[in-house]
Amino acid sequence: MSDRGDNGPRDREAPSLEERATKAGSKIGDRRVRIVRPAAAEFRRRGGHYVATPRVDAAQSRVGRVYERARHILFGARLTSEEEAGERLSKKTGLAIMASDNISSSAYATEEAMRVLAFAGGAALALTMPIAIAVCVVLAVVILSESRVIRAYPNGGGSYIVAKDNHGVLPGLVAASALLIDYVLTVAVSSAAGVAAISSFVPAVHDHRVLWSLGLIALLTVGNLRGIREAGVIFAAPTYVYVLSLLGLIGYGLFRLGSGDMPVAVLPPDAFEPEGIEALTALLVLRAFASGSVGLTGSEAIANGVPNFKPPESRNAVITLVCMGTIFATLFLGITYLATRIGIAPDQFEFETVNSMLTRSLVGDGTPFYYLVQISTAIILLLAANTGFSGFPRLASVLADDRFMPRQFAFRGERLAFSFGIIALALMSAAVLAAFHGSVTELVPLYTIGVFVAFTLSQSGLVRRWWRLRNPGWRLSMAINTFGTIVTGTVLVVVAYTKFLYGAWMVLLVMPILVGLLFSINRHYRTVHDALLLDRPDEPIPVLKPPVVLIPVARLDRATLQAVAFARSISPTVRAVHIATTAESAEEFARRWRRWTSEVPLDVIESPYRSLLQPLLKYIERIDQRDDRPITVVLAEFVPRNWWEWILHSQTALRLKLSLLFRPNTIVIDVPYHTEDTGHGVTPRGPEDSAQ
Amino acid sequence: MQLKRILVPLAGTSVDVEVLRVAIALGKPAKAEIVAIHVIEVRWNLPLDAILEPESERGEGVLDGAVKVAEQAGAHIETELVQAREAAAAIIDTARDRKSDLIVLGMPFRKRLGRVYVGKTVQGVYIGAHCAVLAYRQEETR
Repeated sequence: MSDRGDNGPRDREAPSLEERATKAGSKIGDRRVRIVRPAAAEFRRRGGHYVATPRVDAAQSRVGRVYERARHILFGARLTSEEEAGERLSKKTGLAIMASDNISSSAYATEEAMRVLAFAGGAALALTMPIAIAVCVVLAVVILSESRVIRAYPNGGGSYIVAKDNHGVLPGLVAASALLIDYVLTVAVSSAAGVAAISSFVPAVHDHRVLWSLGLIALLTVGNLRGIREAGVIFAAPTYVYVLSLLGLIGYGLFRLGSGDMPVAVLPPDAFEPEGIEALTALLVLRAFASGSVGLTGSEAIANGVPNFKPPESRNAVITLVCMGTIFATLFLGITYLATRIGIAPDQFEFETVNSMLTRSLVGDGTPFYYLVQISTAIILLLAANTGFSGFPRLASVLADDRFMPRQFAFRGERLAFSFGIIALALMSAAVLAAFHGSVTELVPLYTIGVFVAFTLSQSGLVRRWWRLRNPGWRLSMAINTFGTIVTGTVLVVVAYTKFLYGAWMVLLVMPILVGLLFSINRHYRTVHDALLLDRPDEPIPVLKPPVVLIPVARLDRATLQAVAFARSISPTVRAVHIATTAESAEEFARRWRRWTSEVPLDVIESPYRSLLQPLLKYIERIDQRDDRPITVVLAEFVPRNWWEWILHSQTALRLKLSLLFRPNTIVIDVPYHTEDTGHGVTPRGPEDSAQ
Repeated sequence: MQLKRILVPLAGTSVDVEVLRVAIALGKPAKAEIVAIHVIEVRWNLPLDAILEPESERGEGVLDGAVKVAEQAGAHIETELVQAREAAAAIIDTARDRKSDLIVLGMPFRKRLGRVYVGKTVQGVYIGAHCAVLAYRQEETR
């Protein structure tokens, strides 16, 4: 003898993952309750709720298992939400992941400034060093200011959160859209620059640079989908190899110059006109400065992703930020000094980079050290894209949490990475890269605008914050951020002005469009939220009248029988409707229906033009107009045993479902009929046609 | 004696793994059906079928651990989670319902007043069970 626990009649009717059967004992008082958990392997009990075990996600079919295995090899094992803390970055891996963009800029910042100055002739290249110093001064201000951002906003979000918090939503979204654009460009520029570095010593790559760049983006996407910590581990070593090899090169170069052993400068394959084609104007110098400022990009990524660091997050982020700035400044100034002293000039058509020529001048062509520098440069430039891959998904998730971006961006994948953001970034950067033919010089003018918009907004936001809060030491903080605002704002104006015609206009055009898009996404979510919000937490469940149930029937068979039985279980008001193509078939179907049942009324509609959906939809519309109860359409749908058998069936139910999806006041219920179904709970009364 | 069904009550103590291995060693040659049971004792001030979350979780953990031990030993076991007022009575009645031939009980090595202490559950099963009972006492801890 057994019964279930006394949980009340309602609970007894609702099936549960756990059943409690009371068993009588051999003696009075020895009763026991047997707890039966048939799904215990799939759902573990924890703290009053169930937790799905890995078995739930395990593939059932052979194809599914093969797919799972491939995913496992490519992306690694699934991680639980509790493992998030283990996915945090140390300072060492954080520097490799989040500072690689900034550090890698040292590989091309000198060249970008030189390429502008070269228009004014070879003598103008002497101005590269003062420009490099100016860029480093700006970087120092930015780092000092960003460290304040990290301390004030340890939950990340960077410029977006700072600007939104202190200036309002619109400036916040301007900062966010500027950064989103910049991250896309970071990935595009980094992969293009990486391929350019490879093509410096493997010229054949130059002709297929777009394809190579796209392949590299795909590689980085997979690496990042494996999770941020693993991406850091994979990509940490090349970052340090680059830093050490460049430091070695600079040290060796300085030693040679110091010992009076001046190297012979390697000449570019296609040099600029030695006399120049433009006058050396202040505007040209400003343009060169703007191009050199490309080296400042990526310095906001650390402030944006503070929660990615191990605790104490803020401290680790600030230390990483300072290390990043020091490394960049050392490399940038060292390369620029050596290049200008030795007399390296840029190549007009980007066949060989300035760094490659500098290395060849110092250590000779084809030496192992030359290849080490070139290969590590190529790799670090590629890894710079990692900054985009860590920054974009994190920022997009913050925006999604604030309902300015689709919710999917806030979703963490199986490896705890923001998979949707990573894939979206990869696709957008690939499109940009292809549109600009994989050229670094074509892409660079688009770059840096966004980052300076974000810098300026966050710096000025902090000024307002210090003024408002007036915490201890607020005067110093405010002075630092005011200076930061002035410097970054000035650089923004310079960059926007000098690069406007060279492509910056595109960014300035896209930015407001993106802001509008973010606003409209937010408006949609707010509308939906308002529509779905319960007026009060204890809102009573409304009592509805049983709906009017319509069952479109194509033929009289087991699937129809099951659908009719189900319809009658939810409402007494059930009506079947059949679309016939001829008068004879209409007559015949009505006769057979009458013979089968008189309990469910049938409407037969003759459709002389053989259209099926339109008469049905119009019929539902007319019925709906005549009754205030919700219309429920119950669809009998035959489900074939194998996927390929789908094509043998007309899928009318599917098409009808799609047509009714957006119809208001209409509930659509699918009653699938599988060939192995035996019609449990249905008492057949002898349908005469069971053909399918 | 041909063993067909063995019941192994597990309390979640250190002896569980050993007693389960003993049961598997005894049952494997005859391909006996082995059932691991964990009894949650419900206090008298609570209804018998009260939902006891921490105890249920712990019980499930004990039985999951038993399944893993059995898998490692190349055996398949069934598990049962039961709530009762007294563990001994529930074990005896479950053994009767399942027509068990043998109950293999584990006793952690414990001393009270200088003597090895046999808990009331072991004593109760020993005295009241209809079938054979094997009590496995854990080795003396040094």
